[in-house]
Amino acid sequence: VNSAPSHRLRFGIGLALGLLLGVGLGVLLLVGARRTEARVRAEREAIVTLNAFADVVDRAGISGDAVRGAVAAWAKAHASVTAVRVIVLEGISLEASTEPKDAGDRAAPRRLAREEKPLYDRAQRLRAAVETNRQEGVPRKDEIEVERLEGGALSLAGPLERDGNVVGMAEIRTAGPPPAPPFPLATVLLYLIAPLAAYAVTALLFKERRAPLALAAFALLAVALFLFARQTLATFEADRLATDRLVAERTSGEARLAPALLGTGAAPLEPSKWDTDVFRRPRGVAPGTTPGGAERRGRNFLFGVALGAMALTAFFGFGLAARLGRVLVRHHVAYFYILPSMLAMVVLVIFPFLYGVAISFTDQTIYNTSEPLTRLWVGVENYGHILSDFAITTRAPDGSRVFNYQNFYWTLGLTIVWTVTNVAIGVSVGLFLALILNTTGLKLRPIYRVLLILPWAVPNYITALIWKGMFHRQFGVINQMIQIFGGRPISWFDTPFTSFLTILSTNGWLSFPFMMVISLGALQSIPNEIYEAARVEGASRWQQFKAITLPSLKPSLIPAIIISVVWTFNMFNIPFLVSEGEPAHSTEILITQAYKFAFQQYRYGYAAAYCVIIFLILFAYGTVQNRVTRATEGI
Amino acid sequence: MGRRSREELPHPLLHAILVFATIVTVYPILWVVTIALSGKQSLAIADLPAQPTVSDRVRAVIPWPQTVSLANFKSVMTEQPFGRWLVNSAIVSAATTLLGIFLAATAGYAFSRFRFPGRRAGLMSFLVSQMFPGVLMLIPLYIILVKWLGLGSTRIGLVLVYTTSAIPFCVWMLKGYFDTIPRDLEEAAMIDGASPVVIFRRIVLPLAKPAIAVTALFSFMTAWNEFILGATLMDKESMYTGPVGLRFFVGGFQQQWGYFAAGAIIVSIPIVVLFFFLQRYLVSGLTAGSVKG
Repeated sequence: VNSAPSHRLRFGIGLALGLLLGVGLGVLLLVGARRTEARVRAEREAIVTLNAFADVVDRAGISGDAVRGAVAAWAKAHASVTAVRVIVLEGISLEASTEPKDAGDRAAPRRLAREEKPLYDRAQRLRAAVETNRQEGVPRKDEIEVERLEGGALSLAGPLERDGNVVGMAEIRTAGPPPAPPFPLATVLLYLIAPLAAYAVTALLFKERRAPLALAAFALLAVALFLFARQTLATFEADRLATDRLVAERTSGEARLAPALLGTGAAPLEPSKWDTDVFRRPRGVAPGTTPGGAERRGRNFLFGVALGAMALTAFFGFGLAARLGRVLVRHHVAYFYILPSMLAMVVLVIFPFLYGVAISFTDQTIYNTSEPLTRLWVGVENYGHILSDFAITTRAPDGSRVFNYQNFYWTLGLTIVWTVTNVAIGVSVGLFLALILNTTGLKLRPIYRVLLILPWAVPNYITALIWKGMFHRQFGVINQMIQIFGGRPISWFDTPFTSFLTILSTNGWLSFPFMMVISLGALQSIPNEIYEAARVEGASRWQQFKAITLPSLKPSLIPAIIISVVWTFNMFNIPFLVSEGEPAHSTEILITQAYKFAFQQYRYGYAAAYCVIIFLILFAYGTVQNRVTRATEGI
Repeated sequence: MGRRSREELPHPLLHAILVFATIVTVYPILWVVTIALSGKQSLAIADLPAQPTVSDRVRAVIPWPQTVSLANFKSVMTEQPFGRWLVNSAIVSAATTLLGIFLAATAGYAFSRFRFPGRRAGLMSFLVSQMFPGVLMLIPLYIILVKWLGLGSTRIGLVLVYTTSAIPFCVWMLKGYFDTIPRDLEEAAMIDGASPVVIFRRIVLPLAKPAIAVTALFSFMTAWNEFILGATLMDKESMYTGPVGLRFFVGGFQQQWGYFAAGAIIVSIPIVVLFFFLQRYLVSGLTAGSVKG
């Protein structure tokens, strides 16, 4: 064990790791953002080119030799475009093409071949998109398709219109991918080495004095990360401005070139409508993209990273890491044994649990699972919806009461009734049978016992499905029995009360054996002498039961009741499989209702909030129970 | 003695009560056996005429089939994919057991033998994680396993989920058993220079064999009987487990009660046998403070 800690070394290591974390994550962000920006830039430039090309084709008349001439000339003047094609829907024809394979006897104009159907489909898709967007009045479907080809080239397609109708498609294929931005190695090294060098000088000056060393380490880290962040953000902005500039250059370049291809007499071009999004809305007008959004996110990210780096430096500098390291080394055998199961628990229990809590603050549904949670954040809205809705019943227009069985408080109330009645049935039936079975000298006891335990042994989902079958309205044996005694068959799952009876009887059937076994075990452990002594004293049967039997049962019965409360509260299979919540979710308990929200309505965020509330209820119950029984004493 | 016999309730009355209770208890099981042996898919025991008499109705509730046939057992295993589902269940349960025992034995040993920072927190976290049912974890697990890792409809995904839901119970069981093994042997071995790993493998594990066997059977039973996680994570029909398949026979628009009944009996018999074997451990293990639903 290190007896004389070196503050110099600790703050040095802390600073180095802090820098590594801050600069490392920052560089990852920088490289990622630059790559994204380069991709966005390439797409925007390509869209400008596509729109310019579509305009040229349009002005040249869309079909005919004039178009082919213009297209050929246009393609020759564009080094950044590998090939272009023009498709006309009427007649399914390839009007013009500079694809290498469309030469010789396959040269345009010709009818599209069977294997070129995807091309025709693409044109049809664009027409449908334009018409849909026009009908709905909102841009929903892409009017320009941008497809990333293998190797990074882009294939873009846009509609060709005549008199407001889509009659064809213009398609361009760009040359290779945009050049990847270089990794800023020199910058990274500078920001890593310079602060460390400065710290080394300071350390020489201050020797082992902790306060100045700490000050120097934090100051150097802060300054380095601040400068690095400023440079990074400046790069972001420069990139963004460069994009705007390059797109503008591309637009003016296209505008200069196009008229020469068309000759005189053609209608004038509209370069201002070339720089658009995929819905063909000119940029700057289109809402949704606030310039600088990426920079703001980047700034927040870098700020968070800097805080993390500071914490890391403090963690190492003030010796916490060393202490943690000593603990780990000293107990390394124990941690080694625990590691595998802890790892599994962290990955598959703790992380999912925290992730579930995070989801509960979003409005995630099945449709937006790919979006980052931060974009779906709604705060405590889900909790508010669940907990503040007290309207279990509403008045219908005709004055009758209408129940909303999906209301949280209805389900909570039903769950409580369900739990209490089930446990009461289990305890009373189980205890009653146990008392009978405990009678001395009773014959056939072992046989009764085995048969009465059977329901516990049968898997409960099978029990549930069996009882569902027995409660069937037409063929179920229970209605047959009712009819033997002259009753009318009951539609068990049509009213909340009868439906509740089905799940109650099913669960009662499967849960009493547990209580019976527990009670029997406790009863058998009461020595007979106590009863004999009581009898000598003249105590009645009831007095014996109250004074001897019940107190002796208490130590085993109370934990059993506590457990079975949790079991019943969590008993998913019975309501889910027997009543299936019918009618209208009136017999759902909390966890089956949560499941339905998640996997029938696909409202993940709402269901997650529901689950967190259930968890809190269970947790509160567990804490109180723990207090009461001290079950975890002495671990 | 005379006084005592006056106080006891008469035995015939007790027998009457017990016989009634037993009939109620056994009836659903006899019902499912009857449907399985009927050779038909109907959930009625007997076909009723259009104007049934009381005796017709009595016949329809007596749990004995009109004609005894093993056709349901034969066709559920050959014509239906039930055999495949059972294989899925067996593979998943066996893998869960192996993985779970490995993880639980190592952790249980550490919790029993070593005192280290975080021990209490670790034990308590196992206990707390036992308190909330798997359904509550289902949404994040579904998103992580199915949407991120692409483990939907795979046995691996199910094994991982089952293992982590079985670990806490197993850890507590094994820790409890390790606590009862005297340390003398281990200390002697340590003096002889044996490493902790050797002590664990050569001394502790062999001594704990009975507890490990019981724990293994528990985790096997848990995985074999699990329904809802399997139903949610296994979308493809060929990847169903036994429980999901049984529900498939009678859920939705399917009404193949004969297949269900035959399958239910096939699935249950090993479990019922196991259950009676494990019963006393079950009671002691459950009352030891574990509260899994």
